[in-house]
Amino acid sequence: MSTEAKAALREFRWHMPANWWTRNRHYFLYVVREFTALPLALWLLWLLVEIKRAGDGPTRYAPHESTAFVVFSVIVLLFALYHSYTFLSLTGVIIRLKVFDRPVPPRLITLAMFGAWAGASVVIGFVLIWFAR
Amino acid sequence: MPDKKVTIHATRYDPDKDEKPRLQAYEVPFYDESMVVLDALNWIKSNADGSLSYRWSCRMGICGSCGMMVNGTPKLTCNAFVRDYYPRPILVEPLNNFPVIRDLVIDMDDFMHKLKAIQPWIIRKQEMPLGAGEHRQTNEQIDDFRQFSQCINCMLCYAACPVYGLNDEFLGPAATALARRYNLDSRDQGLKQRLPVLADPEGVWECSFVGECSVVCPKGVDPAKAIQQTKLDTTMRFVLPYGNRE
Amino acid sequence: MDFESYDVLIVGGGLAGIRAAIAAVEANPRVKVGMVSKVYPMRSHTVSAEGGAAAALRPEDSYENHAFDTIKGSDYLADQDVVEAFVREAPAEIIQMEHWGCPWTRDPDGKISARPFGGMTTWRTCFAADKTGFYMLHTVFQTSLKYEQIKRHDEAFVTKLLVEDSRCVGVVALDIRTGRFDAITAKSVILATGGLGRVYAFTTNGNICTGDGMALAYRAGVGLKDMEMVQFHPTGLPFTGILITEAVRGEGGYLLNNEGERFLKRYVPNKMELGPRDIISRAMVTEFEEGRGFDGPHGKYMHLDVRHLGEKAIDRKLPFMRELGREFMGIDIVKDPIPVRPVQHYMMGGVDADISGETEILGLYAAGECANVGLNGGNRLGSNSLSECLVFGAAAGRAAAQYAASAKLVTANPVDAMLWDEAHRVETAYLEKKGGDERIGAIREEMQREMDAGAGVFRTKEGLEKLIQQLGGLRERFERVKIEDSSKTFNTEIVAALELDYMLEVSQAIAVSALAREESRGAHARRDFPERNDEKYLKHTVAYRKEGARPRLEYRDVKITNFQPKARTY
Repeated sequence: MSTEAKAALREFRWHMPANWWTRNRHYFLYVVREFTALPLALWLLWLLVEIKRAGDGPTRYAPHESTAFVVFSVIVLLFALYHSYTFLSLTGVIIRLKVFDRPVPPRLITLAMFGAWAGASVVIGFVLIWFAR
Repeated sequence: MPDKKVTIHATRYDPDKDEKPRLQAYEVPFYDESMVVLDALNWIKSNADGSLSYRWSCRMGICGSCGMMVNGTPKLTCNAFVRDYYPRPILVEPLNNFPVIRDLVIDMDDFMHKLKAIQPWIIRKQEMPLGAGEHRQTNEQIDDFRQFSQCINCMLCYAACPVYGLNDEFLGPAATALARRYNLDSRDQGLKQRLPVLADPEGVWECSFVGECSVVCPKGVDPAKAIQQTKLDTTMRFVLPYGNRE
Repeated sequence: MDFESYDVLIVGGGLAGIRAAIAAVEANPRVKVGMVSKVYPMRSHTVSAEGGAAAALRPEDSYENHAFDTIKGSDYLADQDVVEAFVREAPAEIIQMEHWGCPWTRDPDGKISARPFGGMTTWRTCFAADKTGFYMLHTVFQTSLKYEQIKRHDEAFVTKLLVEDSRCVGVVALDIRTGRFDAITAKSVILATGGLGRVYAFTTNGNICTGDGMALAYRAGVGLKDMEMVQFHPTGLPFTGILITEAVRGEGGYLLNNEGERFLKRYVPNKMELGPRDIISRAMVTEFEEGRGFDGPHGKYMHLDVRHLGEKAIDRKLPFMRELGREFMGIDIVKDPIPVRPVQHYMMGGVDADISGETEILGLYAAGECANVGLNGGNRLGSNSLSECLVFGAAAGRAAAQYAASAKLVTANPVDAMLWDEAHRVETAYLEKKGGDERIGAIREEMQREMDAGAGVFRTKEGLEKLIQQLGGLRERFERVKIEDSSKTFNTEIVAALELDYMLEVSQAIAVSALAREESRGAHARRDFPERNDEKYLKHTVAYRKEGARPRLEYRDVKITNFQPKARTY
């Protein structure tokens, strides 16, 4: 169709309503997933403040005595776990690997990622405990 | 079951008369257990209101014409069974995120341009002459791109994509899946030509991975996967020293 | 007023039409090609073809074998020179499709694979799983996008061919979106509009298969050839008519009656499930009549059983069948037999055209299902039609481009006057029409019922006479048709009325041609004349339209080269 004919058409254009993400469970979970990044960033800012305080001497550094920080940290940990879980679950979908010309099954890739995650957590935990002594 | 009836609420919009779309209710006999929503629309058009406009053809889920919103979900109406909704009324609307031309008919010119933009044909540095026969390709090599080749261009994925709804410059699910289909084809050498469109900010990077496109696809295509894989590929080409090789 | 003007204008955007467009451009890169289609090209009914495309590609096969199978399958009504040219061209076309990206299923060595098919004596049906038509259509359509010379007019419906002094100079088309009539002029026009299955109630064909191109040519004075030859496919799903591909039998599926018996042993003992479609459809109807069919809510049916093939083979070679069974019947073909019954599927007859698609009108060509170039005769073999679209689509495209190179586009009458006449005709007949008391749907459904009853698998003199009467009555009722939609924008009711007009036209040609052929040949089975009669009817029927009367029939000899007619047994 020519452009002038097209211009003559009066098509109706919908606009996305602001509450579009409430219309469908998947949309809602998606928005929650994206939203988890925000508290994570806030927590990191808070952590920086605490580290700054730790620099002023051991007496000033006592985050575990702040109930607000502990509660906030637990919530953020849950968010971080959810975000990591959604991210790692996708690796099987996204990464294409071939070994001896045969595609590696996606579930194996995902499992390997979760394994690597668990492994890294153990190593980091171990290092932290080591330094704490 | 001669007396069973189902109520269809269908969107009506005639730009010559209407400011904006409205709903019209029709009582339709639920005459057969195998009846689909498209059959109900056809019953309306044949028996109650000849002016109801919609597209359809093959009624076997392969031509891709009859996509509409059925109770808020993008569906091929030839494959949406009335028995799954009965006795509740069924709301039939034009696909979300597209301009409405008339009633249940959407304008998909935008996709037709995007389809052409991804160069959906085999690109080779050197064309093989016909006399040399076919390219050798194994079924396993076809498996690499098979699912992305199943796209019937029905536009359900675009209707499900809030990113496309907010920004229609986004290349979108089906076009990216088809680009991936050619990029993964062992006969194709056109990756570099397609990259500018794919790696554009309005290309794969506009996608924030809602994933609903893959949920609604009636043909088992996973466009979300095509998009995320393309993101990974373009990143690898950028990051890794050998990434820019063919 | 300005008009779009082309060297080659193609009506129809299916496999034959798009193949023709590309062939025209490749024959002459300066050629300007237009393509008018009433739907977006990827919606064309090619998309529903499933089983495959035949070509003698394998070393154990030969052109002669493919030609003989086709000619025997046609019950010797095919023009043998056309068949011989076809079988030679088909392999290169399959390779061309491969180069364009069609994902043909492969043999272990990476070459294009083949499967057995009805009426073929060897494995020569190339396939892309069981969605061959879908893959081929999307492949050619997507490939066509790279040719800037091809300009598309999507969702435009051709209402008339512009013909002057037996020369075609373009078309008038209704732009469905805007309701505007456009004259599109061209040095040559190729009709590639597909079949007419929607004249029947029970058909595998999509809603768009309404015989448009046949009716357009017929009205312009071109003959319709062998219109009595309508193919009924043995295996459609009851109620919907969705096609279950012949490849199901090619891969080893059994057809069983209600006694669990492979009844085809009584009809085609040497071929069994791989017999030709016309004979198997008749066998099924005969079994139904003798009480050996299953009874269901949508009439009698048989079982098509693939359970013994195993899940792995089914998923590899028949995945779409499993999907169709699951989605539309609620059965898993791995575990359940498929209910099937004969269903209208294909039109062997069509616009009278020669080997390069030329018709009697200068500059007018036809290809694909809407044409009858003489390939299929009385019965088309499964998987020959996709190849036919490629071979004869390309031939018509090349011929039209060559003709256009030497032709000048001059019209004796001003184009806008011709356009105004046609727009005025349609607008007064439908859009601005007041009154009327007949619903389009009611007339269409009655036509379909009458066609099923009178021009189905078996025909009789009485049945056909009655059908012709009924069609006459329906034509009168159509004059009083009521149009409720007065909108200019996407008025699908006007399109439906124009399509019904075309369908009534071609239905009459089918019925009158069938009545006159007093023999049984191929798909045309007369209960009152059960034998083939080569002395009288080894001839093509050509029907010419006569305003307000039955068409005038002419007969034309069949071209015989190397294969003398013999009894047709399998």
